[in-house]
Amino acid sequence: MNPIDPTIHKVLDGEIGPEALSPAQRRDADRLGAAAALLAAAPVGASVEQRVMAAIQRPAPSAGRRLVRWALRPHAVVLRMRPVWSLALVASILLLAVLPSPEAGLQLGDEEGIAQFVGRFPGARSVHVVGSFNDWGPVSIPLEDRDHDGVWRAAVVLPEGTHEYMFVVDGERWVVDPLAGRFVADGFGRENSLLIVRSLRR
Amino acid sequence: MRLALLLLCLAAPLAGQSVRSRLEGRVPAPSVPVLDSLIAIAAAEHLPTEPLIQKAIEGGTKDVPGERIERAVALDVEQLRRAQALLVRAGDAPPVTPVEVTSVAWALKRGLAPPMVEHVVAALPNQPRSSAFHAIADLVAHGFSADSAADLILAAVREGVHGLRLLDVSGAAVQELQRGSTHADALARVRAGLPNVPATPPPARSAVEGARRPAAPAQKP
Repeated sequence: MNPIDPTIHKVLDGEIGPEALSPAQRRDADRLGAAAALLAAAPVGASVEQRVMAAIQRPAPSAGRRLVRWALRPHAVVLRMRPVWSLALVASILLLAVLPSPEAGLQLGDEEGIAQFVGRFPGARSVHVVGSFNDWGPVSIPLEDRDHDGVWRAAVVLPEGTHEYMFVVDGERWVVDPLAGRFVADGFGRENSLLIVRSLRR
Repeated sequence: MRLALLLLCLAAPLAGQSVRSRLEGRVPAPSVPVLDSLIAIAAAEHLPTEPLIQKAIEGGTKDVPGERIERAVALDVEQLRRAQALLVRAGDAPPVTPVEVTSVAWALKRGLAPPMVEHVVAALPNQPRSSAFHAIADLVAHGFSADSAADLILAAVREGVHGLRLLDVSGAAVQELQRGSTHADALARVRAGLPNVPATPPPARSAVEGARRPAAPAQKP
């Protein structure tokens, strides 16, 4: 920082007149005077006390404004978690992504419908429906008795058309569905229930 | 032509193999070659084979003795032959489709007399008749005469009711009966309302959402 010429200093302080300056000193004095004028025109900064008092007296912003301000401001989030829970969370997310949801498995084709099986078998340990739709496999379509009232139910997606079926109770007792309404001789001296499945899209 | 014959020769043993593999473990072992032969004969006569395979597997699952399974399958082959002949006699040009043969076999199985079935086939040329047969058989099962049942269903077809909607026609007549109408009144009321019959309500949303697809066929435990 260059010190100001003492003669110029005296002129700026008004101690002597400007005629006492050489032309070069006068140019410097004019520049310094212009700079001083610019500083004088700039707003005077409030003191710390004034700024604190102004902030205290200012009305509080509305809740909405505070929320917006909070949302826009960056925040540091610290998540404290045990590693075992982190792994469980990751595994759950992966399972959800990989396993098909029940709705996803229920995309019905044009030639498919829903068959509802209901049977009253109090005290039964298991009830399955078997028929021409599942190669007469005795354990592939279980009925459920969720409220333990002896009424077993299942809703199954089947191809449209005519199917023969029976209930298998406790894995050994073959029972015709009395609610079927249609029956046909099975060729082995008994009857099968008959089911006609309708497509939901027709 | 030679290529087609060659393909047929190659395909026949392969098809036979797949039938045999479906039967093995599901029916008594000594019956497998007999059933396989019966099904091969049916295939050679352009008869549907899937109902025969199902009948054999059904017998095996129900622990029916092998000889009885063979007899039941042989009877089914005979019934399919009768159905095929009936279709040709009623005017369908051979070879008749396996679907139509199966539907006529169902009609005979459900107790409809062959002349009645032939009458319906002739009255409904060039269209699926399976639902018509089931509708007539449903009415007969509820005490309607076969002739009056067939009249109602054929009238419904003439009024533009087709396919599974024919089951709504027979269902409406049965409902009239359950409300206390006589058989004649029930038929007359439904016939007067044709082609309008109440549709069978679709399954409840909860049933649709809770429905599952059957798992792959399980082996006999």
